[in-house]
Amino acid sequence: MNIFLKPLLAASVLISSTSVGQAEDWAPPGPITMYVGFAAGGGADTQARLIAQGIEEKYGWTIIPQQLPGNSGLTLATELVKAPADGTAFGMVVSETLTYSAQAVGDPALQLDKFTALATTAEFQSGLVAMAGGAFDSWDKVKATAEAGTPIRFATASDRQADMAWHLGQKTGIDFNIVEVRGGAGVMDGLRGGDVDIGWVAGAQSKSVRQGEMTNIARGIKAPLADTPDAPAITDLGSDFYLDGYFMFIAPGGLDPVAREALGNAIRAVAEDSATEANALLTKGFGGPSIRTGEDLDAYMAEANAAAAALIKAVSE
Amino acid sequence: MTEMLHYVWLGILSVFQGPAILEIAGVGLPVALVMLVAGLITGIAVGATPGLAGPMAMAISLPLLISAFGFTPDALLPVFGFLIGIMKGATLGGAVPAILFNLPGTPDAMMTTLDGFPMAQRGQPRRALRIAQLSSVAGDTFSDLVLFICAPFLAVVVEAYLDLPEKTALLILSISFVAAVMGRSVGKGLLSVSLGLLVAYIATGNDLSPRLTLGFDVLQSGIPLIAAVLGVLIVGEIFATLERLWLDNHALDVIPVEKRSTQDGLQPGDIRRISPYVGRGAVIGALIGALPGVGSTLAATLSYTMAARRIKRHPQAQPLGTGAPEGIAATEAANSAVSGANLIPVLSLGIPGNAAAVFLILAADSIGGFNPGPGVFSMPDGALNPQLVTVFGIFTLMSLGNVLNWTVGGGVMRAMGGLAKIPATRLLPVVLLVSLTAIYVQETSMFAIWSTLAFGVLGWAMRKLAVPVLPFVIAFILAGPIERSAREAFAASGADPWFLFSSPTSVILLLLALAALMFLGRER
Amino acid sequence: MITLAVLALVFWVPQDTVSGYLVSKRGRVSIGDAMAPGLSLGLMAFSGGLILLEARKREADIHPNGRSLGFLLVILVICLMAFGAMIWTGPLAVALFGVDDSYRNLRDTAPWKYFGFILGGVGLVAALISLVEHRVTLRAALLGVAGVGALIGVFDLAFDDLLLPPNGDQ
Repeated sequence: MNIFLKPLLAASVLISSTSVGQAEDWAPPGPITMYVGFAAGGGADTQARLIAQGIEEKYGWTIIPQQLPGNSGLTLATELVKAPADGTAFGMVVSETLTYSAQAVGDPALQLDKFTALATTAEFQSGLVAMAGGAFDSWDKVKATAEAGTPIRFATASDRQADMAWHLGQKTGIDFNIVEVRGGAGVMDGLRGGDVDIGWVAGAQSKSVRQGEMTNIARGIKAPLADTPDAPAITDLGSDFYLDGYFMFIAPGGLDPVAREALGNAIRAVAEDSATEANALLTKGFGGPSIRTGEDLDAYMAEANAAAAALIKAVSE
Repeated sequence: MTEMLHYVWLGILSVFQGPAILEIAGVGLPVALVMLVAGLITGIAVGATPGLAGPMAMAISLPLLISAFGFTPDALLPVFGFLIGIMKGATLGGAVPAILFNLPGTPDAMMTTLDGFPMAQRGQPRRALRIAQLSSVAGDTFSDLVLFICAPFLAVVVEAYLDLPEKTALLILSISFVAAVMGRSVGKGLLSVSLGLLVAYIATGNDLSPRLTLGFDVLQSGIPLIAAVLGVLIVGEIFATLERLWLDNHALDVIPVEKRSTQDGLQPGDIRRISPYVGRGAVIGALIGALPGVGSTLAATLSYTMAARRIKRHPQAQPLGTGAPEGIAATEAANSAVSGANLIPVLSLGIPGNAAAVFLILAADSIGGFNPGPGVFSMPDGALNPQLVTVFGIFTLMSLGNVLNWTVGGGVMRAMGGLAKIPATRLLPVVLLVSLTAIYVQETSMFAIWSTLAFGVLGWAMRKLAVPVLPFVIAFILAGPIERSAREAFAASGADPWFLFSSPTSVILLLLALAALMFLGRER
Repeated sequence: MITLAVLALVFWVPQDTVSGYLVSKRGRVSIGDAMAPGLSLGLMAFSGGLILLEARKREADIHPNGRSLGFLLVILVICLMAFGAMIWTGPLAVALFGVDDSYRNLRDTAPWKYFGFILGGVGLVAALISLVEHRVTLRAALLGVAGVGALIGVFDLAFDDLLLPPNGDQ
């Protein structure tokens, strides 16, 4: 019990922990606002809320979730960058918000170096998805149909996905009709309604794939997909890039390293603890928790940032 | 077909086996059912209070409900249960002050005063209330049956025959129709629509830099849906009513009837007398309800006029306007029959037709996991469509609501008679505070309150200038889908500028839109 | 209104959107972000024209008179003052009563978090009732207190994660 009370006590007497310098002793100076860059009710939103709930239970900190969706996470970034960098404000986005999207919009105030990456929670299970048993349920069928002269309607849910679709088309000699829809759910609705033929989905397809309604005809990440292990990688089809990424928590830039470590550890402790609801959701819906923090995370973000720059360059050529 | 029945069964189960609010002797009391009952009573109460109406109660309770139940799919049925309860209760409750005090509790109960109040004055308020209840519930039940049968069918047809260009054309048709039939002139209807579209387009769109923000960061996430809708619909109404009360404190006061006759309550032969009028009223209401934008007031007026004409042909019958049961029956059956049928375009197309439907869409939109539209009714092979289960859960709740209205509705109506005496001068300021606080709690930003007030001013001005407000709200909600489907259609067609005219179906729909604007608006 | 719409059409919309009316990206022309607002402004101009035509055919509609504009203005001033009080009371109280912490860190701590909401909420209800009833009564203030109390009970006491105004903006 003592272990739970200690941080609470620490919070209430409001010691300025920065000088003490130990992540275990750190506690936020006030209630934490957690911005959620996703629409309420979706998988990502639930994930963020469950992790917050887990931290509240484990550490006794107060976390108040607040929805701030839109604009591929940049709306959240705009707001978060103005918040105090003392650990009382962080937000959940996807890694591409601070890499591809920030670069594409070009606002210097929103670049990766203006934020502190806290921790990732789950890796994308990106796949190129089509209806199972349909006319496009393998890459060979897609290619054959395209070569026969029928235009292929390719659904994408973000600018990065659209660029990736175009890039894939360039490399494989297919002139896709790229249809930008809203979110992975929009892609899947489009597939079901027959409005589009294939589309990128970053993980939400998992249930439909397992139930045999849809299929991953290719994978967008390095490692094989959990649901369709034999789907070829898009790099094998000709793409120069992966469509990889993480769900992750970020804080304003210049966050005290102690606070950063403490928050990162808290997120890890909750997400990796199989007794928490957050862990159950990550395991069921996101291919399992995938936590990266500290320098390991910084290295990934730098790498992803460089890949995003290369993709933007490749597409604008 | 068996698959469909399976879904129906799952829907019924989802209501009764959903999360329980408390357990009595090991049997759980499903929370959705409790919320339905609570909503029904609330609905009758607000319907019976002049100055409050169903949509207002739905608007205020929505943020509360969402806070209470959260954003999980489990929240859908309890929230819908409460909202549907209000919707059904309010149509019933609106008749109470209309009959007892000659003051319609909701606008569509206007025609109920014509015969209900004289009957009450003659000393038969119970009889009038009872007739109103029976006709209202009968109309509502009929309308729900129409919904249950038509919505899945329509959705399947839409999904099977309409591609992206046709969906765009269908959306254009529905807002043109709304603009044409609501309000006094096509011009004003279109103005309302264009304002709604424009405001909705702020900071939405595909670019990573949000559009039309004038450089303000607060506008980056756009105007909150709830702020625009509640501002124009509710706050605007509060401002306008407060002004009316400011000019005349007693504008909404009531004159109670004290006389009581011994011969109160339902009279023998009443049911046989009103049945044909209830039947016709229900059909008129359901037909009109299925069209977006044409409200229950029109249905009630039409039904009443037809009944009056029919009665005139029988010289020995009691003429309408003198406290005839047929008058109450015709009105109440028709205005209640609108509500179920109104959900046909909501569930199968995602197009709201009246204020109550707007709040149901708003609820679905806020909670997530349920997107009204043709996709709701799809039955994928080998997979379960949870949205379809939700739909049948909603249908189950609606049917249960009807049963409750049949059985206990009358008692609740009589109990709510006193509510009409609450002075609106004191009620409305409290309602304003409650609405603004509820909006704040959902949006957690002062900007939401400022925008709600700004839209309140807009709503007030629109009322002053006789510009209808509902087209604004409907256009605001449909703005996103229209733009998205047009963009998707354009992109999917490989940038064909004539994509809207690429198929006969979409050309026909567009011609209908044009025809609606040219002809429907001319008639008044 | 027509001029306004046309002006907006020409200047505001293309200036304030990145992609213009039509945009060529990834080798294809697609509809830009300015298209939909542009079309709605076009519709607005058209509806303005229609209203002018309609107005010519029959007598002009009722316009808001000075009296009702004045009333609206008073209501707005009341709302502004009430919400202003809501925003500033809390931080002011923290500053005055010498607590050594920022209001932001106290925004979820009683009693600080209630001050603004109580003052602003009661003020709003009492002022509006008094305005409409043309008299100032104790009953109006009591109704405000009751309303505010109920809202605190419903939102703040019942739910952990919800913040009353103005505490979410801190």
